Amino acid sequence: METVLAIHNISKRYGKIQAVNDLSLEVKKGQVFGILGPNGSGKTTTLSMILDLIRANSGSFQWFGAEPSKESRKRIGSVIESPNFFPYLSPVNNLKIVADIKNMGFEDIDRVLRLTMLYDRRNTRFKTFSFGMKQRLAVASALLGNPDVLILDEPTNGLDPQGIAHIRELILQIAGQGTTIIIASHLLDEIQKICSHVAVLNKGKKLFDGKVSEVLAISDSFELASDDLESLTKAIRSHPAFQSVTPGEGTVQIYFKNVVNPAELNRFFFEQGITLTHLSERKRSLEQHFLELLDNNK
Amino acid sequence: MIRLLKIEFRKILTYKIFWILAGLYFLFLTLGLLMAEFMINKQVDSINSRMPIPLPHVTIYFFPWIWQNMTFFATIRYVLIFPAIIILILITNEFTFKTIRQNVINGMSKAEILSSKLLLILIISVIMTVLLTLGTLIIGAAHTSELTLGLALEKSVFVIGFFVTMLTYQVYALFFGFLLRNTGLSIALFTLYNFIVEPILYYFLKSPLVFENKISAYLPVNAVLRITEYPSIQVLKTFMGITLQNSVTLSSCLLALGYAGAMIGTVYWVMVKKDL
Repeated sequence: METVLAIHNISKRYGKIQAVNDLSLEVKKGQVFGILGPNGSGKTTTLSMILDLIRANSGSFQWFGAEPSKESRKRIGSVIESPNFFPYLSPVNNLKIVADIKNMGFEDIDRVLRLTMLYDRRNTRFKTFSFGMKQRLAVASALLGNPDVLILDEPTNGLDPQGIAHIRELILQIAGQGTTIIIASHLLDEIQKICSHVAVLNKGKKLFDGKVSEVLAISDSFELASDDLESLTKAIRSHPAFQSVTPGEGTVQIYFKNVVNPAELNRFFFEQGITLTHLSERKRSLEQHFLELLDNNK
Repeated sequence: MIRLLKIEFRKILTYKIFWILAGLYFLFLTLGLLMAEFMINKQVDSINSRMPIPLPHVTIYFFPWIWQNMTFFATIRYVLIFPAIIILILITNEFTFKTIRQNVINGMSKAEILSSKLLLILIISVIMTVLLTLGTLIIGAAHTSELTLGLALEKSVFVIGFFVTMLTYQVYALFFGFLLRNTGLSIALFTLYNFIVEPILYYFLKSPLVFENKISAYLPVNAVLRITEYPSIQVLKTFMGITLQNSVTLSSCLLALGYAGAMIGTVYWVMVKKDL
């Protein structure tokens, strides 16, 4: 598959703070790529670097297989941090400026304003907008001219539940057309609902990347017991999905890398000649899982 | 180039503050130019009341010297500061609204951002030069009795001086705007430098004991103001011992343009180096 964005070992330092540390990523055409991480993990800094707003201290990146240029940026629609527009201009005039910069006509302006439900307010000045409307105009501006890549930095930040649902639906709809989307968020739930691929960042370093279904799979844990805990503990290490084991009071807690069903697990031990006296499945919330991911990598 | 200008015009077309300042500038400039002769003669009258031999009233609106007089009065600090402040506001707005970041994200290069502001400065300078030329021709024709084309255009080279002054002075403002990035701060420091810092430097550097009145002429703002110097008024010549210029010199234009070029280079260098 065609590589849209390739980042090679970029780093950015602000004084003593290492905002991004030796980060490499690859985004392929048609992916909905999530960058997940807590506040201050380097998500916005990374996006700012690949959009030429700030200079990396080291490392490089390529867009569409070529060195980054203003022409490559014209193929990308972006929402970074706050919505940035001229407060005294109407949305239509603000979008006309964007269209002129991107060397495109004004035909698409009405469509993106309708998509973001701003068409009725197209001639009111930007400064009279509520935050949610401003954020929606930023999305409208990013969608202008159907870009090859859409970059969204916390796109639902500050929106009400209705607005969040609307924007997510819009993103999925655009992803459905085959547009590559890169989306940064600290909301695990958002990434899970929207993305096909994800990279998890913490303190500027990449912890994992891969398919959402793999990286964020709820690897259930099981509480197990048998008459012979020792051989149980030994046997479980040969299970293909085994991740870790924590001994408890007469039981052991087993963590798996991916989803394992209880029947299969029972059969596994039976084949090893071990009879379980206790088997209970523990489900963890997504948030718990995310925090564990971060914790394990401190 | 047309595209960059279109973008700039869209930014100012419905911007009230721009039109208010532009209107005030135009008003002050017109009133100032029309009342200059009256104001000078009021001064002459007050001098005459204390003098045994009365001085004659001056006339400044006759060809060919009207070119020098008009371009002098149109380029005094207090008038030039208007277009400079407009430029400062338009440039620092881009940083305040973060639209400069958005423009880069959307596909403008830093060189294009700088060029679009320079183009705006160029257009403002051209428009003002055309207006001043037309105004001068009309007023001059009304005040000159034996009008010939040769006489009317004899000193029109001062218009080129006016154009260079407008252009370079606004580039100075661009320099402050791009480096300081903050509207209030850049207006304050630009005004401070123009009206206080450089005049003080000028005063000290011109002391004959130190540099024989040479270096002060090369201070950046003074270099711009010197392109079109004192008006051609006999009173000044006689009583203040000022040597009047006869024409706009190429060297004075080149000095100001040199400063402006260095500032544009610095701004571009900083833009490339510094994060937006």
